[in-house]
Amino acid sequence: MPRRRTFLRHANLIGICAVMLLPFYWVLKTAVTNENIYAYPPRLLPEAPHLFNFVDVWYFIPFPRYLLNSFIVSALVVAGNIAFNAMAGYALTKNFPAKRAFLLLFFSCMLIPFQATIIPAYLITSQLGLLNSYLGLAFPLLSTIVCIFVFKAAFEAVPQSLIDAARIDGLTEWHIILRVLLPLSKAALATNVVLAFIWSWNAFLWPLIITREPTMQTLPLGLARFLSYLEDTTGALYAFAVMVLAPSIFVFLMAQREFIRGLTSGATKG
Amino acid sequence: MVAAGKETDDGTVPVTGWWQRKRTRERIVVACFLLPSLTIFFLYRVLPLAWNVLLSLQHWSPLKPARWAGLDHYEEMLLYDEVFWQALKNTLIFIAVSPLAIALALGIALLVNSNLKGAAIYRSIVFLSYPLMTVAVGIIWRWMYDERGGIINFALRESGLIAKPIPFLQSFDWALPSVIVAEIWQVLGFYMIIILTGLQSIPPHLYEAASIDGAPRWAQFGRITLPLLRPSLFLCAVIGILNSFTSFDLIYIMTNGGPGHATELLITYIYKSGFGQTKFDYAAALTVVQFVLLLALTYLANLVAGGNAGSLEPR
Repeated sequence: MPRRRTFLRHANLIGICAVMLLPFYWVLKTAVTNENIYAYPPRLLPEAPHLFNFVDVWYFIPFPRYLLNSFIVSALVVAGNIAFNAMAGYALTKNFPAKRAFLLLFFSCMLIPFQATIIPAYLITSQLGLLNSYLGLAFPLLSTIVCIFVFKAAFEAVPQSLIDAARIDGLTEWHIILRVLLPLSKAALATNVVLAFIWSWNAFLWPLIITREPTMQTLPLGLARFLSYLEDTTGALYAFAVMVLAPSIFVFLMAQREFIRGLTSGATKG
Repeated sequence: MVAAGKETDDGTVPVTGWWQRKRTRERIVVACFLLPSLTIFFLYRVLPLAWNVLLSLQHWSPLKPARWAGLDHYEEMLLYDEVFWQALKNTLIFIAVSPLAIALALGIALLVNSNLKGAAIYRSIVFLSYPLMTVAVGIIWRWMYDERGGIINFALRESGLIAKPIPFLQSFDWALPSVIVAEIWQVLGFYMIIILTGLQSIPPHLYEAASIDGAPRWAQFGRITLPLLRPSLFLCAVIGILNSFTSFDLIYIMTNGGPGHATELLITYIYKSGFGQTKFDYAAALTVVQFVLLLALTYLANLVAGGNAGSLEPR
């Protein structure tokens, strides 16, 4: 490639990346600023950066409680996704009557966005007595179709002879998944963990609907609630935003490849 | 769900007891393994869909017995409810803008998709906004648009483009475009990744052959890249449609549908009717209309993309 063109590409991409990163910089700068953030003109660099706002968030609002709730729900969702998706993915590698019908059912379920189910989903959850509970928060997310197919594809790549050998050795079906298939499908497993974590960590609409008590609320709800006290929180609000973004940025940077693989396999295979 | 292994084997081999037992056992395993996922999808996908339709045809509230309403809710919505039409219009504007975002993503994908040094870093940065919590993204953008401390007003004022700060999210004219920009910022990386996957599946020898034939680069782009990218672009379009029906978080945080109903989407209106005014039956009718629209638009996009170009179909 000619040098001039390479240079132009770099220049364009750096410009685009600067625009994409600007919001991150602006919120980070505000989070560590002590001055009146509404002063005009705003400073481009933080004056005497400090971390008081982060301490404020930790003590002035029940941040640890939100964090705990978010972690419990995310852990439930991740565990559910691994167990149920691996089971369903394994079942779908076998031949059985009406398999095509089941596959079609899964694919058509994918066309139903969760947002189109909120009214009855709320009524169903209330019938089950799960309003304001961790299980209720996690329930709709416990198994995801995209991830079932990620597992199915990974399991199909495992040689059948290996599975037969394990069966002859007397392993039960459950043990075949646990001891043979999962250790050989680490990438699919990682995809499941990352996607399930990100989806449950970021979920807002569902917790908003089914939790009424502040003690059961998760981080996004806490953040939204904090926003309504905007006038007397200012800098702390943005410290809060930085704190909830940090885990997902971390997970994303650690497992970018698995994350993208999950999304694109979901996008191209169903 | 799964038939017991009573019927004879499909093959010509006579059925043995061992074979039958194994098959029966295997089917029970399949049924048990599918059960948890099926239960979840039934409770939170299939049943709600049916219940929505039923609710939309009833007069229903939590404490009163249901009464048959026929098409009353739909009549009210389509003939008398101005907010519904406003929300529908905004949702369609959201969809209409998505080709712009897809074109932008295509441009970035083409820039990144080369043996450029540091291409992976650029890619990560563009994609970074996608997996983030939308509530936090909404708060960041609210702050960027702020009249006093926001960087956007600051930049516009300093560069002399505007004399007075614009209250972007409080203005009837600016609120919707402002929210759409934030939405594009978040989803752009996802479009880019999908297009990149498509670009990488184009066999390089096609370009080599075209170069040998002396086809200029723009002709290669128009004749090879674009046609072969059609499935990816269609997928982006479908995601754009889906997003306009589902981006609740961003609107709720940035404007809550305001000012007035200038940024109301169908999904925020459904939430407000259902959980704000406890009109579950009316919200269900809105959901049914929204869902039918979503299916119709997806189908239409599929037609435009040329039959079965999409990959939402089972392969």
